Amino acid sequence: MKRKKWLASLGITSILAASILTGCSGSEETSKDEGSKDGSKKVEVSLAGWGGNPTEEKLLKQTLSDFEAKHPNIDVKLEIITEQYMDVMKTRLIGGKGPDVFYLDAFEAPGLIETGVIEPLDEYVKKDFDVEDFEKPLLESFQVDGKTYGFPKDYSTLALFYNKKMLQDAGVEVPKTWDEFREAAKKLTKDKVYGYGVAPELARMFWLAQSKGGDVVKDGKANFATKEVEEAIKPIIDMHNVDKSAVEPKEVGVTWGGEIFGQQKAAMVIEGNWAIPYLKDTFPDVDYGTAEIPAVGDKKSTMAYTVAYVMNAASEKKEAAWELLSYLTGKEGMETWTSKGYALPTRKSVAEKLGYDKDELRGPLVAGAPYATVWAEGSNLPIIVNNFNNQFMSAFLGKTPLDKALKEAQKQANSEIESK
Amino acid sequence: MRGKSSKKALREAGQGFLFMSPALVVLLLFIIGPILFVVFLSFHKVQLLGNVSFDFVAFDNFKRLLDDTRAKIALWNTFKYVIIVVPCQTLLALILAATLNAGLKGQTFFRIVYFLPTLTSSAVLTLIFMWMYNKEGLINKLLDFLGLPTYNFLGDPGIALNAIMAMNIWSTAPFFMVIYLAALQDIPDSLYEAAELDGANALQKFWLITVPQLRPVTSFVVIMGLIGTFQLFDQSYIFSAGSGGPDNSTLTVVLLVYQYAFKTLGTMGYAAALAFLLAIVILTATLIQRKFSKEESLY
Repeated sequence: MKRKKWLASLGITSILAASILTGCSGSEETSKDEGSKDGSKKVEVSLAGWGGNPTEEKLLKQTLSDFEAKHPNIDVKLEIITEQYMDVMKTRLIGGKGPDVFYLDAFEAPGLIETGVIEPLDEYVKKDFDVEDFEKPLLESFQVDGKTYGFPKDYSTLALFYNKKMLQDAGVEVPKTWDEFREAAKKLTKDKVYGYGVAPELARMFWLAQSKGGDVVKDGKANFATKEVEEAIKPIIDMHNVDKSAVEPKEVGVTWGGEIFGQQKAAMVIEGNWAIPYLKDTFPDVDYGTAEIPAVGDKKSTMAYTVAYVMNAASEKKEAAWELLSYLTGKEGMETWTSKGYALPTRKSVAEKLGYDKDELRGPLVAGAPYATVWAEGSNLPIIVNNFNNQFMSAFLGKTPLDKALKEAQKQANSEIESK
Repeated sequence: MRGKSSKKALREAGQGFLFMSPALVVLLLFIIGPILFVVFLSFHKVQLLGNVSFDFVAFDNFKRLLDDTRAKIALWNTFKYVIIVVPCQTLLALILAATLNAGLKGQTFFRIVYFLPTLTSSAVLTLIFMWMYNKEGLINKLLDFLGLPTYNFLGDPGIALNAIMAMNIWSTAPFFMVIYLAALQDIPDSLYEAAELDGANALQKFWLITVPQLRPVTSFVVIMGLIGTFQLFDQSYIFSAGSGGPDNSTLTVVLLVYQYAFKTLGTMGYAAALAFLLAIVILTATLIQRKFSKEESLY
């Protein structure tokens, strides 16, 4: 009798345990199946990126279907990760379930390349891929120790966006130098409209911070608590606290520069290519122009932000993945992708063909490319940025003197870097 | 004799464990396992991405805590948050519950209305509040209308955390209100009747009967509040888009753990040490709370 009970309980638990286990193994089997298809007819390559606006997504899908038509043995599985892209990507790469090809921002690239999860691409490159065609500074941000880990798919620089009507009403010319810019912002500030809508963060001010010869990052460490950097970014704080001609989006209840400009709460902003389609869709009535960023002294500068396609080093279908990657960053794929101007092409030949340098709004953005500083600076940049932004904000709001804020931020950033 | 009984006991114990095994497996795998793993991680320098490595570093991660300014700021912010939010939400819950138990007209309706914030997802709540806190948003418009000064709730380091506090008190108090409501039903009417005969007024009845009778529940509410507030993450994460800004003012311990675990590479061990520290802080706070309110029986 007792034994029977014992057996019954054993039976129940084993069934339960088995059902749990099968639940786990089920998914494993399916993923193995995909792997075994590899050698045979159709290969499925996964591609992951963050979503853009609907038009961008359509362009990407079109590029991919062009690719599939040319490579009938390769299927592309597009995965769009809308939120916290890097968190998701890192977790997936740790779990060994990373996509074969994915987007990687230049800002995050050095850190990820350092860990060895990105496949170096040099041995895949064939002559007709024409590496020389890429804008050099953009390509360089994905090169470490002479190896290339990714090919930039597009980029944007920063340019000055100005509201034509407001400038006309105030009788102000489009500023060419930083001093003119500051004066213009003063004149443009009146009844609830500010001259300059500023984004007080390092990603947007890096070029300005370096404009007086300072180095924000030196030998992988924060180095911004210097006279040169302080002097260079002081104007931003003075414009906000002394001239009252600059405002941060949150202070007027909006989220970013494009919105503050579109709602006509600021007459000038410094934004990138992404703001052009946004303004067209959301604020079609705003009459604006773009110009190159006002020069500090006589030196022109701007930022460039770029994203590359990279390959997962743990991918089991590297040949097919390269086919996809090289098509997307190749002349043909890039032309389709950048054809609508949502992104600027990183290949000189494509840029020439599409002629964005002659575009009225995009011309100044393209003109900035040769002298732009690429937003990437070693694997410690994320730590440096976080600390800078936090402390700079309190200086911007006039709660701490700038030199003290910079010193604090640098100290904290470097202690984080040292104990890493 | 002894051998026989112990054999029987063994068999019965085995049977018991077998019956419990599904639950045990789940607990071990998803709760006890991870806890032990965090302890393990906190003594190691961990690199998970690429070349996986676990280097034993003894107490280095904990030493690092001592001169990490951001960790201190995070602890201080969290502490401030707990000290203000827990008493406020407990008091508010008690008052709400007492009012809604007084037999007012339409009290069921009000109970439902008051409970609604708790049912809303905290992410959605935070987004809605961020709209209201906007410089041009509802709250500032209202303040302006009343002739009061307006604030940049989202961007001003001196105010951002307070804004989150207010939001959280508003949204969690109703949950504890329901617990209080349930407990209020258990207070025998005879006590109130006796008090009435002795000539007690409403306020005296509240202070001398309701509050002491609710002590065990209050203690439960405070402990749950402590645990919940120490673990503040989602609201400050959404408020600051993950940075803990402006000027580290909304940086909480859990947010810092998240940043070290996922944002910077190779600091998983340090993040685990921080999480471990937080667990100890919560444990201590709970023990202190229990010491203060002695002889409780609810948990």
